[in-house]
Amino acid sequence: MFGTQSKRDLSLEIQSQIPILRPSIHARRANITVKFQDLYGFTVEGNVDDANILNEVREKVREQGRVWWAFEASKGANWYLQTHVTSALKSSLKFSALVNAITLKKLIRKGIPPVLRPKVWFSLSGAAKKKSTVPDSYYNDLIIAVEGKLTPATKQIDHDLPRTFPGHPWLDTPEGHASLRRVLVGYSFRDSDVGYCQGLNYVAALLLLVMKTEEDAFWMLAVLLENVLVNDCYSSNLSGCHVEQRVFKDLLKKKCPRVHAHLEALDFDVSLVATEWFLCLFSKSLPSETTLRVWDVLFYEGAKVLLNMALAIFKVFVKQLILTSQVDAIRTCFHTPQLSSKPIKMHAWGY
Amino acid sequence: MATNGHNNLNAKLVLLGDMGAGKSSLVLRFVKGQFLEFQESTIGAAFFSQTLAVNDATVKFEIWDTAGQERYHSLAPMYYRGAAAAIIVYDITSADSFTRAKKWVQELQKQGNPNMVMALAGNKADLEEKRKVTADEARVYADENGLFFMETSAKTAANVNDIFHEIAKRLPRAQPTQNPAGMVLVDRPAEGARAASCSYGFQNLGTLYSV
Repeated sequence: MFGTQSKRDLSLEIQSQIPILRPSIHARRANITVKFQDLYGFTVEGNVDDANILNEVREKVREQGRVWWAFEASKGANWYLQTHVTSALKSSLKFSALVNAITLKKLIRKGIPPVLRPKVWFSLSGAAKKKSTVPDSYYNDLIIAVEGKLTPATKQIDHDLPRTFPGHPWLDTPEGHASLRRVLVGYSFRDSDVGYCQGLNYVAALLLLVMKTEEDAFWMLAVLLENVLVNDCYSSNLSGCHVEQRVFKDLLKKKCPRVHAHLEALDFDVSLVATEWFLCLFSKSLPSETTLRVWDVLFYEGAKVLLNMALAIFKVFVKQLILTSQVDAIRTCFHTPQLSSKPIKMHAWGY
Repeated sequence: MATNGHNNLNAKLVLLGDMGAGKSSLVLRFVKGQFLEFQESTIGAAFFSQTLAVNDATVKFEIWDTAGQERYHSLAPMYYRGAAAAIIVYDITSADSFTRAKKWVQELQKQGNPNMVMALAGNKADLEEKRKVTADEARVYADENGLFFMETSAKTAANVNDIFHEIAKRLPRAQPTQNPAGMVLVDRPAEGARAASCSYGFQNLGTLYSV
């Protein structure tokens, strides 16, 4: 019958044929649940309003794509690489580089079109530079060298492979599991202090879906852990993560004093909700396109965007949070369906 | 900490145990009556709530389901702080997971709430042919340490509701009010009035939650 590859092809094909999945006319009643696949193959289940929001998102993504193409046409295909102002440049060039840098920052905050993501991320995050410092065969050599080796990390990775976005049309196939395994196992040998930390499975899986090739996903993971995020986010006692939580608490106190005081009075520790955000970089909490929008900015502007985003989510729910005194109601505010339906981005870049 | 209001009791419950022991699966079975062969790995912790009727009272469990990997240990105190009950879960097919469970028991005895109701759950009881930890061994350990013990199977649902019921029965009915370190859970009888703010509940837990 059909192999896994053909299934994947089929789903991609269907996706390209039906760019906008409109909910059927029978689904007009608000209570009816509709199921559809988003751009990255994740099944989304929601009501008709959710479906409409997703369609609007797709339309915006297309519009944003046209803006990027226009820039490529007028400034050249790799214009965004010439945004670093260096003293070696002549003053006239400096100015154009500065203009490009400002334009680029704005553009990225509005989202990188999915087709350009692999290329733009790879260049701007520093992954390309990192890769260029080692021989071309580094990744392949690493994978061959670690093949068949068993460590506590590989055991845990094997345990988590089928538990990473189960049901995804590509990730949850033997081929997807094998790819994810190679990236995670390879990295666990590259940095034995980190080894494998639960949470990285979701991050690496999403990187694989975006970057398309294992090797590029591997380098993105490397640059993320070694340069983009704060140190020791994932190593032995998650000390970096604890630091991030602490910083976030202080930030919340400063920026949303009422929410902070209210939660404090209820003795509700914000880390109870924020830990997963920081360790999975929102991939388990937000719809895929929203997560990747956060990552767009993350790879260009750095780890502070995680704090911006977490703060934005709290801002969105200020009223609900202040009105509630029940722990489960507080927690419910942060469930994905709630998150996806709120205009988080309006808050995210305001700080 | 459990809080009392009329005949309604709110109780914070935490699940602890090795990764892959089946903590999330037990909760999913208890809260939604479902079982997934491959349950997503939990990062940090996940929150659930479920209400049980026990004798003349209702007990509302506020359940924190924690991540099992060793390095997440440093986050655990945040979850068991002020908990009225804990279920320590191990996998009967893994001796390591039983060792880990004992460590959790020790930690809770030292640092947890002294009145905490503790249950030991030997999960995956349906995998008899792969068993590594005997029920007797676990029962002796549980008796020595003042826990109650059950073998459970999230897959077949065996003993899952029972273990939560047993905890509900054992919760102390009258709680001392002083507990500055505990999470204050305010009991609100007229809860339905504010249901609008949590209308999503857990209905979309499966796919949407993981997008």
